[in-house]
Amino acid sequence: MATLNILVGHAQGNVPVTVLRVEGDIDAATHKILQDKAAEVIDTGSTHILLDLGGVNYMGSAGFRAIHAISNMLHKDDTPGLLKSTHLKLLNPTDPVARVIKTLGFDVYLDIYQDRDTAVNSF
Amino acid sequence: METALTSTENRIETLRKCVFLQGLGEKVLRELAAKAEMLRVAAGKTIVTRGEIGSKMYFIISGQTRVHHDEVTLANIGPGDVFGEMAVLDSEKRSASVTTQSDSLLLSIEREVFYEALSTDPAAFKAVIHAVLQREREIIQEVKTRSTKLMAYEKEMEIGRRIQADFLPKSVPKLDNLELAFTFEAAREVAGDFYDVFKLNSLPHLAIVIGDVCDKGVGAALFMTLFRSLIRASSLYGNMGSALLDTGSQRETISASELLLNSMLTTNRYIATTHAGSSMFASVFFGLLDPESGELLYVNAGHESPIIFRQNGETELLDITGGVIGLFPVAGYAVEKVTLKEGDLLFTYTDGVNEARNVEGELFSEQRILEVAAPRGNSAETFLRIMLDAIHSFRGAAAQSDDITMLALKYQTPGRA
Repeated sequence: MATLNILVGHAQGNVPVTVLRVEGDIDAATHKILQDKAAEVIDTGSTHILLDLGGVNYMGSAGFRAIHAISNMLHKDDTPGLLKSTHLKLLNPTDPVARVIKTLGFDVYLDIYQDRDTAVNSF
Repeated sequence: METALTSTENRIETLRKCVFLQGLGEKVLRELAAKAEMLRVAAGKTIVTRGEIGSKMYFIISGQTRVHHDEVTLANIGPGDVFGEMAVLDSEKRSASVTTQSDSLLLSIEREVFYEALSTDPAAFKAVIHAVLQREREIIQEVKTRSTKLMAYEKEMEIGRRIQADFLPKSVPKLDNLELAFTFEAAREVAGDFYDVFKLNSLPHLAIVIGDVCDKGVGAALFMTLFRSLIRASSLYGNMGSALLDTGSQRETISASELLLNSMLTTNRYIATTHAGSSMFASVFFGLLDPESGELLYVNAGHESPIIFRQNGETELLDITGGVIGLFPVAGYAVEKVTLKEGDLLFTYTDGVNEARNVEGELFSEQRILEVAAPRGNSAETFLRIMLDAIHSFRGAAAQSDDITMLALKYQTPGRA
């Protein structure tokens, strides 16, 4: 059975940031685990999420769809007009995942950081 | 363990656990146990083979075995299960093969031994027949359930395939100095690949579109029709202010570059806002080629880089100029420009090409595309045939997991064709 581990952490920058450290492959079988965990932390008050992809070696289109769904949940009260999400950012993608992000041009829509402190303070 | 199991008492225990023999009395069980033969079988050995005549049935004491038709697994069975009983009872050919998956201990009983033991006890005979019929009924039910599920799945696949085939262009514009060729090889499970080639109403340009909608199945096929239609409609009509202007004598002038950008932004915004909850996206390459000058304006929204194979041996990649479309309402795309010259070939494709895998799991890759395309001078059609042959031979016996869609365009300077 495909599994995805998600560790929930908290960091304080200019705003409180929830850090979701994801470990495993994000594919058609596991993307819902990520989406559900994000929904859970948003329900309990998280407004800014940093998705730590350092433990993800594969992300298929289902993973990108999950990230979009999370971004939508975080932005539901926003007025549209911003190109990049101010509530969802990505941290430290592994090489294979970074390559797919680049191929699909997802870096156009989301900020990607290599360093956790810089990422937390960017919100 | 093995010594203990050789005792008649332990053999009786093994036989008693078997559902198939549960109606048998002590005397019959004892007789069968005494005459059964114990086998130690290593993992990976095929014990009964489909189609062969067999005279033995087997009871599993320990280990796991697989019941199969060639590569297709019908069931995995283990301790307490029996196999080979049908062929023993009806003397017909074995209906399936059985192969051990781990080292196993089995008890085997010969047909003659079985009948002889049962002949002394009519009640036992009745119990065995009852158990066999019960099992037959279960098998029939299982087959029914499976075939209903399979039919529903096949039906969905068929609908998806039909939608996809319907939306590929039936014919493409013919221009004297352009040679166009296409390859579309659908995967078994419907994917969302599409391509389109059409002439603009307002400009002399030829529109070339290739795209890949994420996900699989009917959902992907439906979104494919949406992406494809929106791109076509917005480039044919949307950018002239009104579709009505198309029939009027006065046309607004809009540059090819504006039209291209507007079409992508309109399509993106429509899907990202109207279908936000679906999180469906597509990678799309959209180019507008001026057939006279060879100037190609393009937007590459998160799609595999098309490649220009120049007549002079050079290669140019048309890398992304923006992200995938359909997710975020506010997007930005750069319109880039490149010029095709005499004998140049533009090759566009979807990830079913570079991500085709061989049995070792290796990817065909962009590198192999470049190698296969190294010799210049082929027609567009020959180019695609060579590429498809290379993919097939690379893939070998591995399954095709995604659509393979390719479009090649060979340019010749007008008047020289």
